[in-house]
Amino acid sequence: MIEVQNVAYTYADGTKAVNDVSMTFPEQGIFAVMGLSGSGKTTLLNCIARFLSPKQGEIILDGQDIQEMKEIDFRQQVGVVFQHLNLFPHMNVLENMMLALERVQGKTKAAAKAESLEMLERLNIAELAQSYPAQVSGGQAQRVAIARGLALKPKFMLLDEPTSALDAATTSDFARWLRELQAFTSFIIVTHDLPFAEQTAEQGVFMESGQVQERGTLAEVLKNIDRC
Amino acid sequence: MHYARIIITLTLAFLTLAGPWPATAEEEFVTALTGKFPPFSYYDKQGNLAGFDVDVSREIAQRINQKSQIIATEWDGILAGLLAEKYDAIIGSMAITPVRQESVDFSTPYYHSGAQLFIHRDNPNKVYSISECNGLRIAVVLGETYQHFLEEKFPDVEVVTLKSGAEIFAMLEQKRITGFVTDRLVGAWQVKEAGRPFVSVGDMLYKERIGIPVRKDRPELLGQINKALAAMEDDGTMQRIHQRYFGLGKTSSSKLGTMEPSVIATKLLKGFAVSLGIAFAAILLGFALAVPCGLLLTFRHGSLKPIHFLIRAFVDFIRGTPVLIQLLFVWLGLGFAPFPAAILTLGICAMAYMAEVVRAGLMSVDPGQDLGAKALGLSPVDRFRFVVWPQAFRIAIPPLMNCVVSLIKDTALVSIISIPELIREAQSIISVTFEPGLYYLIAGLMFFAVTFPLMKLSDRVERSIKAKGFAHD
Repeated sequence: MIEVQNVAYTYADGTKAVNDVSMTFPEQGIFAVMGLSGSGKTTLLNCIARFLSPKQGEIILDGQDIQEMKEIDFRQQVGVVFQHLNLFPHMNVLENMMLALERVQGKTKAAAKAESLEMLERLNIAELAQSYPAQVSGGQAQRVAIARGLALKPKFMLLDEPTSALDAATTSDFARWLRELQAFTSFIIVTHDLPFAEQTAEQGVFMESGQVQERGTLAEVLKNIDRC
Repeated sequence: MHYARIIITLTLAFLTLAGPWPATAEEEFVTALTGKFPPFSYYDKQGNLAGFDVDVSREIAQRINQKSQIIATEWDGILAGLLAEKYDAIIGSMAITPVRQESVDFSTPYYHSGAQLFIHRDNPNKVYSISECNGLRIAVVLGETYQHFLEEKFPDVEVVTLKSGAEIFAMLEQKRITGFVTDRLVGAWQVKEAGRPFVSVGDMLYKERIGIPVRKDRPELLGQINKALAAMEDDGTMQRIHQRYFGLGKTSSSKLGTMEPSVIATKLLKGFAVSLGIAFAAILLGFALAVPCGLLLTFRHGSLKPIHFLIRAFVDFIRGTPVLIQLLFVWLGLGFAPFPAAILTLGICAMAYMAEVVRAGLMSVDPGQDLGAKALGLSPVDRFRFVVWPQAFRIAIPPLMNCVVSLIKDTALVSIISIPELIREAQSIISVTFEPGLYYLIAGLMFFAVTFPLMKLSDRVERSIKAKGFAHD
């Protein structure tokens, strides 16, 4: 479980992006952090992913403050897929997946390869193993990025705007695929795409001006937003 | 870490080689001349040094019980090389002058000669003495006493300074200069033995005493040389050597003007191998230094800021000063032997340019790549090694290739520090064959044969990088 407790973050120019936010991400399922551009949701994700240190409050992972965890331990429990994916263009899909298994988890090349291939097969994208990132479509690249994160078997996966490069038809397929992955890990999706959030998440929050405006099940949150 | 091991091994090997050597072994009598001053020094048919000065040098070495080693170097740096202890003495027809005597000691003169004006026999300018040459172009070899004489006594003459007699003779044959001033024996020899269309005009401009300079801290050596010269005069050896080159009918034109084609080919190929060897070593050294320096150049803030500014200043200094000056500084100023001096100078120079390329390559990699690797838990070293550097390197390959091409061409400069690379070998051939057009063209084509494929390879890599989309906009 990840607990965000009274977190605030202010940028150097004085912009208060996140203001006293608290929320709890459950052990299982898909949780959506929704909001319009500038609502503070990506800043919150960067705090949870430890790329930013909150100026106030704490983020607790299974009872431990994430700022006090060893970097390598934290990274193996919380994976991140960025909006721009950041796949390594000089490596094929298989090599993208094997890198962290070998260098972070210390697995042999053969073991890393076997695990990566197994993961690609379970995610039904084994045919992309030898392709380079520039050779796959936007939807495929999104899946590869998630597969790369899942290879480390994290407890949580943070996805930043996962549908920003997908068209409507691909988005529906992707949402369906993502729901099937709940068996692997818990997802925290940061998105402004409310229909996509509705297709995937069970619970969520809606942020505005750095604060949580609504929280609850997706149906409740969306209903309350409509009412506003 | 295969790459790192190779770099470390090569760097250690270089540093072992590069330390300031004693320039001479004790049992050797090392002397310098130009090899471009026939009949005093030139290359024979077999490509070996020959001539009056060469014979005198060998004879003296024998008489002082040392092994003779003769180095061919440029005239304009020959005294600086002596002072920097690159050789023991200059036996290269150097005139004794008060200015030179301030820095070196001369032996007793081993021959007397004088300065003479030579013009084309067609005499298009109708001049019959140096006093009629005001406003006309008269050539001399750079650094010769004739240059100072003309500038002082005939300031209205337009003095053209060139690197060797071969260039001067070629220019006068093409009538691009009015005439030249040189040693009367050298000029007369060119007319008589090499069949040049030149004539001497006017009286001898002044007489010269030719001696052997040694450093002022070598009085014992000077004494030995003087003793040997006196003995050579007494027993007729000096006269016999003189007859060999200047006696009537003694010098056949077959001694000069031709060189066996196989010797020419060997000299050119050997010279080119030396050029490429120096280029290869300098590229390795430059690249090994450029990677850490390029990386440090990206750290403009934080705790590495002072090192960043030091490297920035050094790189800017190297890029802002002529390679030739750097080369002469390392060779003469720091006292390095010629090959280590060449490799060190060109390597450092390559480092400066390559470091900028590496820096630009690193800056071209999307910062998200490092962040993506960090999100996977990779250490900073692994992030650089497996994610950032491979992409930066691919982006940097085309401009790095340009640096390599540039460096290969820059090896031509090391001829100035007496390294027998391609240009120097071409010059030695030209000093015998007097065909500068042909041999400079061949040397140019040899360089092009190596640089052209590199340029094409660079183009291909650049296209491939664009296709794979490594760099971010």
